[in-house]
Amino acid sequence: MFQRIAESSVIDGVDIQLDGEICRVPITLSVAAAVLFIKGDADYRRHVDGHARAPFCLMGCCHECLITIDGEPNRRGCLVSVAEGMSIERQLGGSQDDG
Amino acid sequence: MGELCQAEIAIIGAGPAGMAAAIRLTQAGIRPVVFDMGNAPGGQIYRQLDVPVIGETLSGTDYYRGRDLLGDFSRADIDYRPRSQVWWGQCESDGVSLGVVDAAGVSRWHVKRMLLATGSMERSWPFPGWQLPGSMQAGAAQILFKEGGLVPEASPVLAGSGPLLYLLAWQYCRAGCAPQRILDTTPASRYRLPLRYLRGAWQGRHYLVKGARMMLALKRAGVPIHHGVEALEATGKHRVERVHYYWRGHWHHQDTSLVLTHFGVVPEPQLGRAIGIPYDWHEGQQCFLPERNRSLQARTRVWVAGDGGGIGGALNAEREGRLAALSMLTIPTNDVADRKRERRRLEQRRATDLAVRPLLEAMFRLPSHWLSEQPDTTLVCRCECVSLGELRRAIEQGAAGPNQLKAFTRCGMGPCQGRECGESVTRLLSTVQALPPQEIGYYQVRPPVQALSLGELAATATDA
Ligand SMILES: Cc1cc2nc3c(=O)[nH]c(=O)nc-3n(C[C@H](O)[C@H](O)[C@H](O)COP(=O)(O)OP(=O)(O)OC[C@H]3O[C@@H](n4cnc5c(N)ncnc54)[C@H](O)[C@@H]3O)c2cc1C
Repeated sequence: MFQRIAESSVIDGVDIQLDGEICRVPITLSVAAAVLFIKGDADYRRHVDGHARAPFCLMGCCHECLITIDGEPNRRGCLVSVAEGMSIERQLGGSQDDG
Repeated sequence: MGELCQAEIAIIGAGPAGMAAAIRLTQAGIRPVVFDMGNAPGGQIYRQLDVPVIGETLSGTDYYRGRDLLGDFSRADIDYRPRSQVWWGQCESDGVSLGVVDAAGVSRWHVKRMLLATGSMERSWPFPGWQLPGSMQAGAAQILFKEGGLVPEASPVLAGSGPLLYLLAWQYCRAGCAPQRILDTTPASRYRLPLRYLRGAWQGRHYLVKGARMMLALKRAGVPIHHGVEALEATGKHRVERVHYYWRGHWHHQDTSLVLTHFGVVPEPQLGRAIGIPYDWHEGQQCFLPERNRSLQARTRVWVAGDGGGIGGALNAEREGRLAALSMLTIPTNDVADRKRERRRLEQRRATDLAVRPLLEAMFRLPSHWLSEQPDTTLVCRCECVSLGELRRAIEQGAAGPNQLKAFTRCGMGPCQGRECGESVTRLLSTVQALPPQEIGYYQVRPPVQALSLGELAATATDA
């Protein structure tokens, strides 16, 4: 649902693992931005009430972008930059974020 | 919490306010420590400007204006700590204690003086369906644009009010993905207000001319702009499929997979409130602002500069940063007269820059009864899924203030700690009880003001 514009400057890519699948993404992206870029927002996260949620503010306030990064759950994906070899898992179980 | 770190001055936030303050302090021989949650300096406006992804023709000139400031910041002798969140703070007689969490874990700091330059966040403004995937804030879309040159694949609908909405629309047009339409909740008549605020209009002509040019460019690009939209709704099964808007006496419908909203920005309240700074309701800005004196001082050892102290824009934030730095310098030197002059100059420029604010505030004034006119099913607390109807019932049953409402409904108890529902709750109580927001007040904010992981919490507990 988001694409890179042709005019944007050439940036290095890094390989990350999103739910086990290896993907190459621009190094300047946050984890939340990378997931939106690769998968879109439809299955970003499942909320405690079972409904789908996706990043809303991308600047550390709303906590809608909670995601598991390198095994640690409930990280704010918008505050963490992607890094080579990083493993990202979406929290699609629906009961994890009430911490 | 590990060993105690010390510094003379700590600055929280590396946006224009924090950067300018840090640079000014180094000129006086002080090496401040600067904590910022971001990966690079710049704050909101100059995000990613250290390694820019989008060119000036797409970003607009204001963005690239920040390069000088970033350059000075990177050359100055500053203990700059990116990816560091200040999650706790407490004023003490001899300084301020801070809890900081970064990749290495949690640490505790004691500083003699502190500057809060924590900036603003987008105002939360509930409408039915705003929690669906496919509904995002315009600032979030702009962050994707700055960080990665990312734009929506399908043309979005932009809705709300204020300059940032038009800036994003204009940037998208330039990038070749013009929005489907702009649903502006500002009535068309408001754009004639400059005629009534002549002084403000003259002082702020830069903003007004820029705004008018953007609107013209959008019209030329064929983007329909509807002024005076009165209500908004997003619907879809699992994500946004359509938006509905009430305009000129009817509901209209538009298929879209993305609706980007903006209803102005408000100071990020958490840290200031947690350390006990009093906040007052500002009628013009329609939000709470921290109390500060002319020197931007809020407590004996705490200063607040930039949008975190009141919305004044990036240039004003820079000036406030410098002003606060001057006021924080306690060591007597032989350049007292120079400093006085510098200070007067900054104060004058600041007054000129702020003269446009009453006009902008009047132009983009939001309807204060908006929330109480939404349907009962509208979510107010996104984290705990508390609806407007539940809040109304709790108020009827006697929940008289924000903290009681929280205890009755769990509103504001989720991971965002009330950032997204706090002022909505104040607004709702104010409307229902017919009392001014100042009398209603706000949630009691307690640390941690930034989310900690279990491991981090454990580390703070072992020797706290
Ligand atoms: C999403 C968004 C987009 C914007 N885009 C524009 C734009 O394009 N053009 C424009 O003119 N204005 C824009 N603005 C307004 C702009 O923010 C201000 O004019 C200007 O950036 C204010 O500068 P500042 O230094 O006060 O705060 P900011 O630039 O917001 O910087 C505050 C910094 O403090 C950090 N911080 C906050 N709390 C903590 C904490 N507890 N611990 C550690 N760090 C913390 C934040 O991460 C941030 O980096 C935008 C505002 C928002 C919210």
